[in-house]
Amino acid sequence: MNTVRELVEQFQPGLRLHDYGRVYTDTSEFMSIDSGDIIAVGGKHYLVYRDAVERGLAYKDVKYWVKKCMELESGETKLLKLVFHESFYLEYGCVKIKCYRSPQKEARMLDLVRGDTRFMQGRSVKDEAGNRIRIIDFIQGKRIDHVVAGIKADHETYFHEHYPDILGKFIGACEAVAFLHDHGERHGDINFDHLMKEYSTGAYRWIDFDYAYEAHANPFGLDLFGLGRILACITGKWLYTRHTLHDLHVDIGVSELTSGDFSCVYKNEIMNLKKLFPYIPTRLNNILLHFAESANITYDTVGSFIESLEEYRLVN
Amino acid sequence: MNFKKILLAVDASENAMRAVEYVGAIVGGGSGFEVQLLCIERLPHRDLFPDEDEWKTACEMTRSEMKAFFDKTRNRLVEMDVPDSVISEQYVSSCFSPFQNGVRQCSRGTSIALEIMDALKAGGFGTVVIGRRGVSKAEEFLFGSVSNKIIHSAKDCTVWVVS
Repeated sequence: MNTVRELVEQFQPGLRLHDYGRVYTDTSEFMSIDSGDIIAVGGKHYLVYRDAVERGLAYKDVKYWVKKCMELESGETKLLKLVFHESFYLEYGCVKIKCYRSPQKEARMLDLVRGDTRFMQGRSVKDEAGNRIRIIDFIQGKRIDHVVAGIKADHETYFHEHYPDILGKFIGACEAVAFLHDHGERHGDINFDHLMKEYSTGAYRWIDFDYAYEAHANPFGLDLFGLGRILACITGKWLYTRHTLHDLHVDIGVSELTSGDFSCVYKNEIMNLKKLFPYIPTRLNNILLHFAESANITYDTVGSFIESLEEYRLVN
Repeated sequence: MNFKKILLAVDASENAMRAVEYVGAIVGGGSGFEVQLLCIERLPHRDLFPDEDEWKTACEMTRSEMKAFFDKTRNRLVEMDVPDSVISEQYVSSCFSPFQNGVRQCSRGTSIALEIMDALKAGGFGTVVIGRRGVSKAEEFLFGSVSNKIIHSAKDCTVWVVS
């Protein structure tokens, strides 16, 4: 077998590495695979830059089973998601859900969405030990909550000038989720950091479909709720809680808010945005209130959620 | 509508057994009743397991539990003076079962409530009985509730929700 040095010289002769590691064909021990190593799978060679990192505003989470790589043959940046059969409890607001990290689910979804740029693109291959590795095309972009928070405008200006376009694109993203549901699949982790706005195209693209969880009476409810939360975020230009109102200079006394104004799952997140921003039309606010504690009815399907959004858009 | 023709939807849960007890109390000793036990199979999804063998083992266990529950349910109803001859069973396998065995009808598991209502209509039942788990609003939103869905979608029949 060729060494890392030989492979780099063969495919990327101009490239110089700090450390020349080893070539892996079995990725079972992913913690051992590090910068300067090469993963040889599916007829290609992937030079590992580093472990992938998920960043939030106040946290940095290293994902040791996801390697940011260069595909030596093409020079393209790829993410290699290695097999990590993890199960854990996810705190979804006031509810705990047992989740499973499923390589085969993500591989199946990549096949389903191939060529559909509303989703991340990639393929899956098995390594020498039978581990199903997902090779993902890297998306250069920004997560949706950071996109809207980064727009330099007060909320009223944002709502009138920027929001219509953002809402239109968000509806497109919802239609993408509906496509998954129509095929009996669910995203599994709809959240702000999994909807990216791609820098080069401005397109909204879903990433990371490897979460699976046990089926329930409504297997798509979790996805739908995630969409509602993103809608609240893009409508408000941030997700508001009692604590952030003051920090974000929103002029409302907390006593004016009742428990019914908050999310029925994330009890500290405000859904009744019209109380914060009175110019938000009632029709739009009512869509948000379907996700609030005060709601007597909720959306059953992403389709009915999209219908409501489209009806709002028609009259506004 | 023959309200004495009862469809009793069960899974292997405590709530389902409460519904069984209730039906037994109402029907036991009476005449003209028919009771069908209906189970829409919900097997664990393949995605939750690292390999086929573990998944099949889990499916076998789930199916065995369900079959055992059916027997327990029938026995309990008979103990409560419901004649064995008026009790029937319908078990709808999951479409994603590893043990397909050439079944004609299967459940995709995306709308258990509607499948129960379909069975109600197809069998000409006048009453549907289901146990209620008692979930929080948040859980109902995220996961749905079969009993609530039945309440909202039932037409031309009687619905008993036992909680």
